[in-house]
Amino acid sequence: MMDFEVLKRWRHSLVARSIFVVFLVVMLIAGISSIIVNNTVGQRESDQAEKTLNELVEVVANTASIASFAHDEQLASEVVQGMMQNSDVLRVSISSTEGILASAERDSAKLMEGGKNSSGHIIYPLDSPFHLNEHVGTITLDADWDNIESRVKKITQQTLVIQIAQMALVVAITAAIMFIFIVRPIKAISDRLHRLGGDSGNLLTVPRGHQQSELGQLVGDINALTGRLVATLEQERDLQRLQIIARRKYQNLFDHAASGIFVADRCGQLESFNRAFASLTWLPESECIESRLITEINWRAPEQLITMLANSLDEISDNYEYQDDFLLLNNRGIERWVNISILPLGDGNVQGTIVDVTQRKQEEISAKHQAITDTLTGFSNRAGLQHSFDDISMGTEYFALVMIDLSGFKQINEALGFHIGDQLLLRVSARLEEILSIEDHAARIDADEFVLILKGEQRRSSINKRMDRLLEELNQPYEIKTADSFDKANNISISATIGIALFPLDGNNLNELLRSAELALRSSEDRSDSSYHYFDPAQQIAVEHRRMMEDDLRQALNDHELQLFFQPIIDIQAGKMVGAEALLRWNHPEHGMIPPDVFIPLAEQVGLINQIGIFVLEEACLHAADWRKNGVDIYISVNVSAKQIPNGLSPEVVQRTLEEYQLSPDAIVIEITEGLLMSNVAVAQTWIESIRALGLRIYLDDFGTGYSSLSYLKRFPMDTVKIDRSFIRDLYIDKSDRALVEAIITMAASLGLNVVAEGVEDEQQLAILNEIGCGYVQGYYFSRPIKGAELAPFMLRINDELGNKNKMV
Amino acid sequence: MIINKIRLLSCSTLLAILLVCSPALAEPALNDLVLIANADSGIEHLTKREVINIYLGRYRRLDTGSTAEPIDLSSKTDTKALFYRLLVDKNLAEINAYWSRLVFSGKTRPPQQVDNVDKVLEIVGNNRNALGYINRAAVNSQVIIVFEWSGT
Repeated sequence: MMDFEVLKRWRHSLVARSIFVVFLVVMLIAGISSIIVNNTVGQRESDQAEKTLNELVEVVANTASIASFAHDEQLASEVVQGMMQNSDVLRVSISSTEGILASAERDSAKLMEGGKNSSGHIIYPLDSPFHLNEHVGTITLDADWDNIESRVKKITQQTLVIQIAQMALVVAITAAIMFIFIVRPIKAISDRLHRLGGDSGNLLTVPRGHQQSELGQLVGDINALTGRLVATLEQERDLQRLQIIARRKYQNLFDHAASGIFVADRCGQLESFNRAFASLTWLPESECIESRLITEINWRAPEQLITMLANSLDEISDNYEYQDDFLLLNNRGIERWVNISILPLGDGNVQGTIVDVTQRKQEEISAKHQAITDTLTGFSNRAGLQHSFDDISMGTEYFALVMIDLSGFKQINEALGFHIGDQLLLRVSARLEEILSIEDHAARIDADEFVLILKGEQRRSSINKRMDRLLEELNQPYEIKTADSFDKANNISISATIGIALFPLDGNNLNELLRSAELALRSSEDRSDSSYHYFDPAQQIAVEHRRMMEDDLRQALNDHELQLFFQPIIDIQAGKMVGAEALLRWNHPEHGMIPPDVFIPLAEQVGLINQIGIFVLEEACLHAADWRKNGVDIYISVNVSAKQIPNGLSPEVVQRTLEEYQLSPDAIVIEITEGLLMSNVAVAQTWIESIRALGLRIYLDDFGTGYSSLSYLKRFPMDTVKIDRSFIRDLYIDKSDRALVEAIITMAASLGLNVVAEGVEDEQQLAILNEIGCGYVQGYYFSRPIKGAELAPFMLRINDELGNKNKMV
Repeated sequence: MIINKIRLLSCSTLLAILLVCSPALAEPALNDLVLIANADSGIEHLTKREVINIYLGRYRRLDTGSTAEPIDLSSKTDTKALFYRLLVDKNLAEINAYWSRLVFSGKTRPPQQVDNVDKVLEIVGNNRNALGYINRAAVNSQVIIVFEWSGT
């Protein structure tokens, strides 16, 4: 067995293998060369033998020819005997022309066989020694082929033996060289390697004489590799030691941590968990420690947890931490919120930690609830409405958004105090709740603004019914007891206005719907009745139109599209023109002339009124100054709206402007309306006094249309009242109008005020006004509003006309 | 090799000159050397081949049935050299070498040698089978010319 092993090992050794290969190659070469040698040496030897025989014949030819010439048998015999000395000669004879002189043969038996080989048969003709061409005899020679062949064979064999011996020597030397130079050093290295311990760090020594050879390099490489291996091994050991320490450390942490810690796979199969985990999650106790599932815990949403596990594992980058809060219940129905944060470990498992966050969660939920709730009514606030809208719009195809505004609530709050206001709001919300179904939603988005979302409502007939009932409920008086008087109840009435927008028709997000509902609400308010209105797309269009006009108006100021027209004011007693009212026109590039009652309210709303007011004043001053230079000594009245006082057109600005154009104060008259006086009494009074103090006159415009309170006339120092055109129009038809105008004129006179009648369109009206003692008129009868340039010619003409008329009268 | 050739060439030239010049000197000898036989021998004429065969020992039997006895001169005479030169174009050393091969077997002998022409005349005059070579001028009535070099 052992011998067999050794043999087997030897058989695979380098020496054996290379000797085997060399041997095979040598044998092959020897085989080929023996064939070649056989052929060439045999041929060569045969040729040589033949050549030798020929030479032999030639050598003796001379003597033989003499023998033949002289028929000397003795001489011939000597020659023959001599030739027979050559062992290759089998038979030889010399004959003359008269017969055989001498012959000899070696073996008669051989001769018979030799006959077949004709190439060994030499016949040499002998010439006479004295005449070259005279034939005197013949030498006949038979070669001994057996002898030749046996010699050739012998030589061939010798050659082969020498060759084989040479080759055997080569093989032996090759084997020896291989053994000495390659195998022995390798064996030596191998033996030393065997003896080296894997981790000893000992180095191999280079076999002697191989310091520069490939084997030396190999040993160097092996030593380098060994060095690296040893270093790596040591690192590995250190690492293992550290790992053991770390594991011990972490095991302790793991066991005694207050947080729950677990390791699980993507299906929720728990690989390990600590005590805190089991107690935090109320993990049911089980005999079986293996194959516990995280889903055994009574989660409210176990599938979310599994999804989170899978997501964290599917995340390509490591160290991506997932965390979320999960609700779980114990068997007594107690809720607990835990925060689970998981981290993929990289081996297909995740490590998770669990912390009890019930308290935080409850605080969060309550804070969240507070953030979206109106504390007074318990309805949603603006943010809550957005939440509800998001929820409802997600799951519902249709709903109605109802916006309710309590008109007059602000005044109640101011008059009776916030306490009453709050109570009122509570009562309102209680009544609102009565008409709400369980699916509907209510919110208070402003002090006195409520929003209802009526789910599933889209038909007006159905909504109308509920709105009718709602209005009826809300408009009932509210009995509210004040704190200081227990038995005394305040009976408060408020009126609600309602705007309705439908989802998704009137907007598909909350902002759009609220805007639509508010537009609908405003149209209810405009009509000043307690009612409800649906959003009308036309309102939207109107709003957009207005916005466009706003832009245009801003542009108009810059582009000088605004210009002043002037309507003359005539003193009918004196029969001459005394002034003109400056009227602003907007020459819109697309819409043409736009009257001030359209664009002035717009200007007031968008805050352009002050700029426009100053523009008007300056234009008026410019014209007045121009006219006065040309001897047209009239005043110009300028309209001022409530929004312009006190700062939009301050007395200082007025004064500065007049100075700028070097005008006396009587050149400009300020026209105001009752609305201005009413907006803020104290401010208006101060402003008017300041203006009058500058020397400017104040006209009260549109007298008779508003409150026309006589107390105003008394309270505010005026110079003139202008009777509104509506009284003048039917002056000669409507007796009451005439009476009113007469009364105004009388009253004004008694107060020392002048009167201007506006809108005088015909002679009859003029006649009546003249009759009842009206001092001044303006209107189409005399002139439409005209451009500044036309005013001076007009004045000349009208003064002339009136002068003539007066003269005639 | 080339030198050898040239030398060979000059030798031949010299020989040619000798041959051309010699008639002036040896013309009498050439024309005069004749083979004689006894006047009663019955031989009328011999061919050159017959002369060669007889003198060099191949055949000595004559057409007459008798055996010819050629008489040679000794090597001291110039005539002998001339004879063999004319007959087989060989010098005397070659002729001697030839004979030395044959004499040992004992079967054939070289011709009998005599010292001078007178002795030749005497032997041929007395022996019917004898043959000899002499100058034509020495021919007497006892001998007849059986072969002569007639310019060839």
